[in-house]
Amino acid sequence: MTLITEAGAVEDRFTRADTIDAALAVDGPVLIPLAIADEFAKARAGTEFGVFLPGSTPIDDVKPQLGNVALVAIEFPAFADGRGFSLAKKIVREGFSGTLRASGPLIADEFADALACGFTEVELPETMANRQPVQQWMAAKDTMTEHYQTGYGRGPSILQKRLAARKGA
Amino acid sequence: MAKDHRAGSKVRGEKLPAILMASHLLEGDTVFKTDAGWTRDPSAAKIAHDAETAAAMEAEGKAAAAANLVIDPYLVPVDLTDSGLPVAKHFRDVMRQKGPSIHPDMGKQAEFPPLR
Amino acid sequence: MYRYDEFDERFVRERVAQFRGQVERRLDGSLSEDEFKPLRLKNGLYLQLHAYMLRIAVPYGTLNSAQLRMLAHIAETYDKGYGHFTTRQNLQFNWPKLKDVPTILELLADVEMHCIQTSGNCIRNVTSDQFAGVAKDEVEDPRPTAELIRQWSSLHPEFVWLPRKFKIAVTGAEHDRAAIMVHDIGLKLKRNDQGAVGYEVIVGGGLGRTPMIGKVVREFLPKDELLAYLEAVMRVYNSEGRRDNKFKARVKILVHETGEEEFRARVEEEYARLDGPTINAPEEEVERIAAYFAAPTYETLPEASQVLEQARAIDPEFDRFVEQNSFEHKQPGYIALTIALKEIGAVPGDMSGDQMRAFADIAETYSFDEFRVTHSQNLVLPHVKKDDLPAVHAALKAAGLASANAGLITDIIACPGLDYCALATAKSIPIAQAIAKTFADQERQKAIGELPIKISGCINACGHHHVGAIGILGLEKGGRENYQITVGGDATEHAALGERLGPGIDAEDVPAAIEAIVETYLAEKQGSESFMETVRRTGAEPFKTGFTAFIESRAVESEAAQS
Repeated sequence: MTLITEAGAVEDRFTRADTIDAALAVDGPVLIPLAIADEFAKARAGTEFGVFLPGSTPIDDVKPQLGNVALVAIEFPAFADGRGFSLAKKIVREGFSGTLRASGPLIADEFADALACGFTEVELPETMANRQPVQQWMAAKDTMTEHYQTGYGRGPSILQKRLAARKGA
Repeated sequence: MAKDHRAGSKVRGEKLPAILMASHLLEGDTVFKTDAGWTRDPSAAKIAHDAETAAAMEAEGKAAAAANLVIDPYLVPVDLTDSGLPVAKHFRDVMRQKGPSIHPDMGKQAEFPPLR
Repeated sequence: MYRYDEFDERFVRERVAQFRGQVERRLDGSLSEDEFKPLRLKNGLYLQLHAYMLRIAVPYGTLNSAQLRMLAHIAETYDKGYGHFTTRQNLQFNWPKLKDVPTILELLADVEMHCIQTSGNCIRNVTSDQFAGVAKDEVEDPRPTAELIRQWSSLHPEFVWLPRKFKIAVTGAEHDRAAIMVHDIGLKLKRNDQGAVGYEVIVGGGLGRTPMIGKVVREFLPKDELLAYLEAVMRVYNSEGRRDNKFKARVKILVHETGEEEFRARVEEEYARLDGPTINAPEEEVERIAAYFAAPTYETLPEASQVLEQARAIDPEFDRFVEQNSFEHKQPGYIALTIALKEIGAVPGDMSGDQMRAFADIAETYSFDEFRVTHSQNLVLPHVKKDDLPAVHAALKAAGLASANAGLITDIIACPGLDYCALATAKSIPIAQAIAKTFADQERQKAIGELPIKISGCINACGHHHVGAIGILGLEKGGRENYQITVGGDATEHAALGERLGPGIDAEDVPAAIEAIVETYLAEKQGSESFMETVRRTGAEPFKTGFTAFIESRAVESEAAQS
């Protein structure tokens, strides 16, 4: 697995565990299925952990955990499955400020979209990272410097810039 | 994701003899497998008369697709003309061998001798 | 018309550079074909039967002469000298090479054009009424709305990987010429009881494999809430639209399977959760865009033109052209003129580079440098002085563009079909050509009156056959091309899907079958009823009876021929 943030490739601090027993055996931050989050939080109160869940998960299923977790990893079954983008947007809207990870065979060309929807990192299978190395991801995120949609990405939208220019004039 | 593109055509009955057809990645033009590589001339296509040759051509097509040379290679069942030239059995593949029916001045039919 | 500012300009230029990079990464293997394909589609590039095809966006169908001259240049330099206007008011080139496409995109950007989202599973080029800003029955010009949506939907970070394509149409008129009932979202500008302007929002219409008429999800959406509401609809669709089956992935299926009430409730729930004011366009922005669509500086003229009347009186051909192809303008002394790209025997919607240049000159001289593309694959000169009509007609005639058949039985919509398209199951254009030749006689066309025929060469329905007064669908059956015929389809405010008349028939039988249907109409017709009015009154039954009789007569003929 390769983990890519806006700043480049980084080490994954989280260890993935699929069952509660495996999760409890992990030393350090652990990444677990959403379904066992309650159980884990009770058993290991105060431990840093994250949850992973499919992009089809309703926001109301995730919401109760957003205050407890440091990381939410949304799984993309395929690069062309955009459900994760909408779920990310909903999670950010709930005030979540932890790490938001897109996990799956994404392509560099959608890195900018992922960041704009609130993702902070992408976890790629190795086969993908070999074909599209980190440099391609870094280049792709900056190809388009403007966006029309207010409420996406970091900087102001084109509509906001126009308004500011008019007020400044 | 479901495939948008229909690479092959539905042909009933005999699948041999056959030729291998694809699209050239950079040009977009329809190309045909030969012994040496690929040709744009439909009459120069290599003809597989047996299953082994067809399978070998298909494998070469897949390799050429993997090497970013062609797209969507597939075997096209053909009938042979009196002079031994391959004419696709399916009307869709015939269209690819010739060019648009509404523009006899365009496509393969304008550039190469007809498959007679 | 709208002009790019520095932001639009930079955006389109950067998109070109992005695509150039994507092509390079495809060639060096960084992108596989499965990955590159949706990326190229989102920039209008298809791979068809013989070559790539590039679909260029004509936002809400509006173009100027400089743009058309550039299209002529591209056609002649990088293609085979012609372009094809489509049923989505776009233009396609049928023979570009992948290596040339980035350069073509640069040239398009030079005249404020692009190919962004003319294909792929994203929000497509927004379409509108070809008589926008001209029609008398208009509440408000729909183009500022369409332009706002064009900008908002361009590379929308959240909605570029939808379950399926998504088409939005806007109309501002009472009479719907934008087919809003058969779009994923249809917007109709209207006034509420207090006189405020807003939108009726229709969701879940569409043609294709499972044609459906859209449902009204909002009777009245205040105008300034548009983008936030669209975002709510799109978010519900992106989250919940089916991804397990491509044929069930359009929003119409979600609306249908969820139920109209429940779908509406989900949209409203999402709408309540999102922060509308931060999403919607500021009023100043809406006004900025609208200013570009202000009416041109018309001359003050009397409604009637003596020049026109005299020319009509002495030239029957001109008279017929004006009668058939003109559309009433709200400004006295002007008309909007339809240029039917439907010469008998020609390819519907095709235009040569020479014709493009000639037409660019005409639009520049006689129509405030503006023209429109219609979903019927025709063009419109929106503001022609009646006094200028004789000169305009002469210039059009010289360019082979004076076909006087707008709306008649030979003004046929046809998708490219099997002559070009990789998805097609049957030819479409040759069917249109054969029908047009059958009904070539002008007196006969006139006697039949308005009768839109629409032909698709596969189930995907690019030729809109479901909403043709006569619809023809070409399929493959037993290794042959086979054509199913429907009547009674309608894309206007009376939206209806055509009803099938009987079994499919062979290509060579189609013109005679259309003649049989026309005979039924002429026999059933009461007073001055149009074909559609007759079908609406009688239903499809008499047409089925006539069609069945036609099939039986054919069977007898072929038996006789064989014995």
